[in-house]
Amino acid sequence: MSDFMYLFRGGSPSGTPEQMQQQMQRWAEWASALGAKGHLRGGDPLDGTGKVLRNRESVTDGPYAEAKDLVGGYMLIEAQDFDSAVELSRDCPIFHSGGSIEIRPVLKLSK
Amino acid sequence: MSEFLYVYRSEEGARIPEQRDQAMQKWVAWMRALGEKGHIKDPGQPLEYTGSVVNGRQNAVTDGPYAEAKDLVCGFTVVEARDLAQAVELTAGCPIFDIGGLIEVRPVIKMSL
Repeated sequence: MSDFMYLFRGGSPSGTPEQMQQQMQRWAEWASALGAKGHLRGGDPLDGTGKVLRNRESVTDGPYAEAKDLVGGYMLIEAQDFDSAVELSRDCPIFHSGGSIEIRPVLKLSK
Repeated sequence: MSEFLYVYRSEEGARIPEQRDQAMQKWVAWMRALGEKGHIKDPGQPLEYTGSVVNGRQNAVTDGPYAEAKDLVCGFTVVEARDLAQAVELTAGCPIFDIGGLIEVRPVIKMSL
């Protein structure tokens, strides 16, 4: 088993309050299913604000990059291998609202 | 106290293999200092520079990390701080700056699933 990070971009809940509620419900169900199968190690949505620091002297307001590139949340996933991590992402509700998931393997340090 | 995500970003190739052990020591020391003051919620993980992006309605899978910007996400840490300003202050001394990288600090929205 290996660890992977999901970085969610775009696909913010939108529409009527009922639609947004439905989307959040789908997210909760998808995350719950991952948890039930033992794949979910952590994760949270992120607020759209923030700061970017290039060093002590350089602090800019706001999150990194433009709106469509904005990372809206992340998850830590445990899966058999990379292909499996990709498979596990496929039912994510983010795809129904035009978002994307960047899947990155956690760095393995071989001593 | 609130939680904040540090998203470490750097250019591919910024990690210098020969300096890896030295860099690791710096990271461990920096994290330990934050941890001792009670600020580390999740030390996080460094990430490989490989990966894929799964996109859109067709579930298309493209090879490689999300590289629309040159600053690739290369790791993360979750910290606890009073507010965003303190979370920013706590980044002081982070070894990511040594390799010309940056830290994106984002407030975490705590949800109970």
